[in-house]
Parts: sequence; C-alpha cells; structure tokens
Amino acid sequence: MSELDLWLSFVAITLATLLPRCGLLLAGRRLVIPAPIESALRYAPACALAAIIAPDLLLPSGALQPDFGNPKLLAGIAASAIFGLTRSTIGTIVGGMLAFWLLKFGFPG
Amino acid sequence: MNHPPSPRDAFWRGVRELLPAGPGVFAWGLVTGVAMVKSGLTVTQSVGLTLLAYAGSAQLAALPLMASAAPVWVVAFTALIVNLRFVVYSAYLRSSFMSLPTSRRTLLGYLVGDVMFVRYVALLTNHPDYPQRIAYYLGAAIANWIIWQAASLLGIFGAEAIPTDWGLELAGTLALIALVVPLCAHFPTLAGVAVAGSLAIIARDLPLRLGLLLAVFVGMAAALLVESRRRPS
Repeated sequence: MSELDLWLSFVAITLATLLPRCGLLLAGRRLVIPAPIESALRYAPACALAAIIAPDLLLPSGALQPDFGNPKLLAGIAASAIFGLTRSTIGTIVGGMLAFWLLKFGFPG
Repeated sequence: MNHPPSPRDAFWRGVRELLPAGPGVFAWGLVTGVAMVKSGLTVTQSVGLTLLAYAGSAQLAALPLMASAAPVWVVAFTALIVNLRFVVYSAYLRSSFMSLPTSRRTLLGYLVGDVMFVRYVALLTNHPDYPQRIAYYLGAAIANWIIWQAASLLGIFGAEAIPTDWGLELAGTLALIALVVPLCAHFPTLAGVAVAGSLAIIARDLPLRLGLLLAVFVGMAAALLVESRRRPS
C-alpha cells in the first residue's frame, strides 16, 4: 500500500468509527426509538462482549478447540471462577494470565 | 451521602469506577500498539492511526487488510461493521445527551468505548435518576481514553521488546470476562450471553465479521424473549 493509501485508510477507519458513535446522537429529536428496541439495547453490551470473548477462548488458532488442551479456555474458566469468588478485576486478570502462562509454558511437551 | 453530587464528584466517581477495569483497557491498548507495528506500519503511521481513530477492535481488524493492500473502501467497510455495536450504544445514550449542543454530543460520542459504556449502563441501572450523569460519563470516558492511548503509545514504541508469544492480548479478554460475569447474575442477560457467545462461534466464517453482529442481535432477542416469559403481561 502506498503512503497516501495508508493515510486515506486511517481517515476512512476514523470516519467509520465516528459515524456509528455519533450518528444517532446527532440525528434530530424527530427520530424516535421505539420502547422495545430501547429496552433491548440494555442487553447489547453483555451480548457484544460475549461475542468477542467466546471466539477468543474457544478458537485460539482459528479452529474450534473446546478441550483441556486449550490453555486460553482454561485460563478463561479460572478467571471467571476467580471473579466469582473475589469480585476483583485485577485479581481476575492476574490470576487468569498466571494460569495461562503456567498451562502454556509450565508443562512442556 | 444524601445531598446531590456536584459535577466534580460525579466526574471523579466515573474515573474511580473505571479504574478497576484499567489493567484490561491498558492490555488491549498495549496489544493494539504492538500489533500495528508488527503488521508493518511505521512508528509514525501507528501513532497517527491510534490518535485519529481511537477504535481498538476496528484498528485490529483493519491491520491484515492494509498489510495485504486491500482497497481503501474494504478497509472502511470492515471497520464500520466491527463498529456497528457503537450504534447500539449511542441509541442507548440518546436520551441522556439529546439536550446538549451538537459539539458536546460529538465529543461525547467520539469518547464511547466498550468498557466505559458498561460502567455507565451500570450506573443508570442502579441509579436511574442520577443527576450528574454527563460528568460521570466524561470522567469514565476520559480515564478510558488516557489509559488506552498511553498503553497504545507504549506498545508502539516498545513493540520490538515484547515477545508475541506471551499472549498478552488474553489480558484484554480476561478484563472483559470480569465485566460480563456480574451481569450474568440477571437471568435474561445470562441467556443473551450464552446465545451470543455460541452464535459468534457458529457464525465465525461469515465474511467481514458479520457473525459478530448476528451474534449480538440474536443474543439480544434471546434475552428479551426470556425477560418477557418471566414477566407475562
């Protein structure tokens, strides 16, 4: 890609991010969002996060790996358990990463 | 504290309530910074992209396309699809922001991010009449922006020193888990999470990451269905 095309792409990514973020906020008051849709929106973040987390843990290298040989999946399960027990975000991240590194590097072969 | 909070109190409450998720935001930013350089962008280009877009997953999705010299419109379209969840977020934010001037709404919209949005929804769920919500939003959003950009710049300048096989991007996912687990105490949300997570796996081969969008919408529908079954009207 040429330098110009790269910077055009950066501007395009910026606009493609600003439009979904600001479009509805800048639309006039006449745009009324129906109540059922508004109540459905409460579930959007949890669903979006689940849709980002699940493939990351279960498709570690692009292929489905729902077994105990998958350190990312086990680290994710450990992290969920740690959060359930401690309610600590930092504990969850540190504990999950330690579990991941132990599984990945701790048992060679 | 029974007296209403001042804007300053609300701003700092937003900052404080974002900070527990700070390490996750930091890890995502760091990983994005490293990935931009490792995909072949120069340091100047990487700094330009991260300061312009502030886009996280859309930046990550665009990298392989730019590395393979895809047309600019394909890069833009892919970023747009990955960012469509922000339409859903901003639809939720409309009722809070509609009375503000256009420039303020543009700024607040630019600052929307996954982590700070979850905190803001949690605030309004627990305190539907919270008076200084804009100040709270700004506090959480600006803290989110500073942590992300600082980590991203550190990743860009330190890319050569961080081994890729440390799998540091997992820290970002673990932070998202800490955001989702407490929401799952609410049964309709748990149903939506289960459906969205499963569908994101099943529909993974759809082009342009449309599987992500499909998973979000079907998950939301499942949560609503469970909610309506539990409270028959």
